[in-house]
Amino acid sequence: MRDVAIIGCGMTKFGRREEDLLELLMEASLAAMKDAGLDHRSVDAVYVANMGAGILNYQTGVASALVDRLNLLPAPADTVENGPASGASAIKNAFLAIASGLYDSVLVVGGEKMRAVTGWEATDFVASMTHRQGEYIYGVTLPSLAGMFARLHMAKYGVKQEHLAMVAVKNHENGAKNPYAHIQQAVTMEGILLRPEAVVNNPPIAEPLRMYDCCPVSDGAAAVVLCAAEKAKDAPHPAVHIAGFGQATDIHAVYQRDDPLDLKAVRGAAKAAFEMARLCPQDIQVAELHDAFTILEIVESEQAGFFPVGQGHRALEEGATRLDGKLPINPSGGLKARGHPVGATGVAQVTELVWQLRGQAGERQVSQAVNGFCCNFGGFGNNVLAFVLSRE
Amino acid sequence: MADLEGILRPPERQLPPYPPKSIYLATGEQMVVRPAVREETSMLLEAIAPLLYVERDFYDIVAARTFAELLGWKRYRVKDEYCLVGLIDGQLVGLVNGRTLSSKVGISYHTLALRRGLRVGAHLFASKMEYHIEILKQKYVYITAESPIGFRRWMLEYDLIQRPDIPHELGGVDVWTLTPELYHAAKDRLVVGERPVPAPLLKTAETITIPEEAQLVQQVTGRAKKRSS
Amino acid sequence: MEVPKGYQCKACGRVFHPKRRFCLGCGGDQFKELALEKEGTLLTFTKLHALTMDFTTRTLMLGIVEYPRGVRALGQLSTDKVEMGMKMRHRWEKVREINGQEIYGLKFYPASK
Ligand SMILES: [Zn+2]
Repeated sequence: MRDVAIIGCGMTKFGRREEDLLELLMEASLAAMKDAGLDHRSVDAVYVANMGAGILNYQTGVASALVDRLNLLPAPADTVENGPASGASAIKNAFLAIASGLYDSVLVVGGEKMRAVTGWEATDFVASMTHRQGEYIYGVTLPSLAGMFARLHMAKYGVKQEHLAMVAVKNHENGAKNPYAHIQQAVTMEGILLRPEAVVNNPPIAEPLRMYDCCPVSDGAAAVVLCAAEKAKDAPHPAVHIAGFGQATDIHAVYQRDDPLDLKAVRGAAKAAFEMARLCPQDIQVAELHDAFTILEIVESEQAGFFPVGQGHRALEEGATRLDGKLPINPSGGLKARGHPVGATGVAQVTELVWQLRGQAGERQVSQAVNGFCCNFGGFGNNVLAFVLSRE
Repeated sequence: MADLEGILRPPERQLPPYPPKSIYLATGEQMVVRPAVREETSMLLEAIAPLLYVERDFYDIVAARTFAELLGWKRYRVKDEYCLVGLIDGQLVGLVNGRTLSSKVGISYHTLALRRGLRVGAHLFASKMEYHIEILKQKYVYITAESPIGFRRWMLEYDLIQRPDIPHELGGVDVWTLTPELYHAAKDRLVVGERPVPAPLLKTAETITIPEEAQLVQQVTGRAKKRSS
Repeated sequence: MEVPKGYQCKACGRVFHPKRRFCLGCGGDQFKELALEKEGTLLTFTKLHALTMDFTTRTLMLGIVEYPRGVRALGQLSTDKVEMGMKMRHRWEKVREINGQEIYGLKFYPASK
């Protein structure tokens, strides 16, 4: 297998965007190609991550449309759909294609245009990936699964609402330093939890989860250019290597899992990624976790091996995951503040790590970052991908 | 002429004033909610005007109707109208208006949030219901929604009663009503704020300032600011 | 009234709901139909305030119930006066309408009443 490097990345601002999906994908793609110093003749293939343009935008065949708009014809192009983990899945496909020797340089772009529909429709669209007979027909949504999961986890490990709010406060603070974030606004513990006004400022969504425990619905796109490491020497920026990758799946209906609290796929994906990289969680200086819900940042930080199971909330209390902590988590603001255009998220996580490892993250730069980790969580943990990235 | 104006101008009643309150927002900013006075309508109209052309989330409809209602108040053509404003450091972040139909019945006009994502609209709508039920002691408030956001926020969150038999002022869709019973059932989760407002904070809300037009449209649409290269 | 069923793997005895083609425990593909037991324990629940568009109520109670034989099922709850570990009984009721089609499923009621 050949070593694979990331030589370019770029993204659009996340949030409510006027542009249509293809325009967003183009904006991110062109930014990443420019960053990589590539022109259209040197892109061997394209993978596009998108979860739901067929439903949300009545647009199918997204990759075919995009290569035409970008003048990348006749480059091979595929759309990759793996729910909210589509972004990482598309990167995986590019990684395998380059590692195998088939292609030398590949463009990966993930994007979603979710605000084209109402919030109800967007919620229902995301819920369509739940188990049809066992979950969806009852009115299950992703927040409702997260709410039931959070109640169990909190009862078992003594996690309080305040811990969940700490994730939100931290990630909003980071997001306020990220010009690409959907929500660039810090919030206070008083405003979202402690003051009487919090019942309105931060209303319940799926108890015990409240509005600030859930990511917003966003539009946006992110892109990276992957290249065979041996051919990455001429790139304008120092290459960041994909040192490790892992993926695992789990039982579709959450209630059918032996222990519904055990996110086996997160553990499996992280373990495989660390093994391939020949690194362990202690070697990581920055992590981007899939905090679609605040509880998930806590649990993923445990299942990935950064903290013992049931101790993730203690690390939060100690400030270990803040920008200036021992292991900064979600310096970008995470899904919570950067936003969650589902197809874009996995690519945006990798983009953030590349910026962090290159030292280009501006006000939210983590110090001394050599190795980064990210986790892209599909379904409610039924299809999870993880990457370990390292700078030279 | 003076006599004709007397005919055209609805008789004015002195409504009991809405006592100002302060609301601590998620960001830690304090929003003061207080009644606007007629002399402030010109400034409010100026603030709303740029929204007349914002189609997103039906801002155009709501802004146009609110503009007409406030203009009617300014020029003495609406009976017993009031307007509550939400101010952060004196800057207008939202407004709500309405009027009384009789001593027992109030009409809720419109809710305009000029800053979004902070639940300003929810807080101001709740203040308006508080005014009708707790201050004016009315038995019914007539409410309609003209946007999906409004429908979810008012009709569902307050469990309002649909009244197709009551014609709406604007010839719009069905009227829904809030009663004191429904209001008190919802109050704990929807109506917040502190009184009295400390004098220094109240002072910041004495004079209304309005956001610049470009800033306002950006706040309301979430459209990215144009990059100044 | 339709009786909600469990499906027991003939090879290893594990029970599932709804029906599966292969057993999650041993991979077996032969199942015996059983009626779900009358009473189960509420494992966890949520009061959902952000419903999808085809619901007209303000909130919806959802929960996961574990039956004595170990099978679990997710369903709607009849009330928000519940707590973890509470005994629940199911009924098979209309739970949703999708595109005008009535969907039936599990609705859990507190057992003591
Ligand atoms: Zn079996």
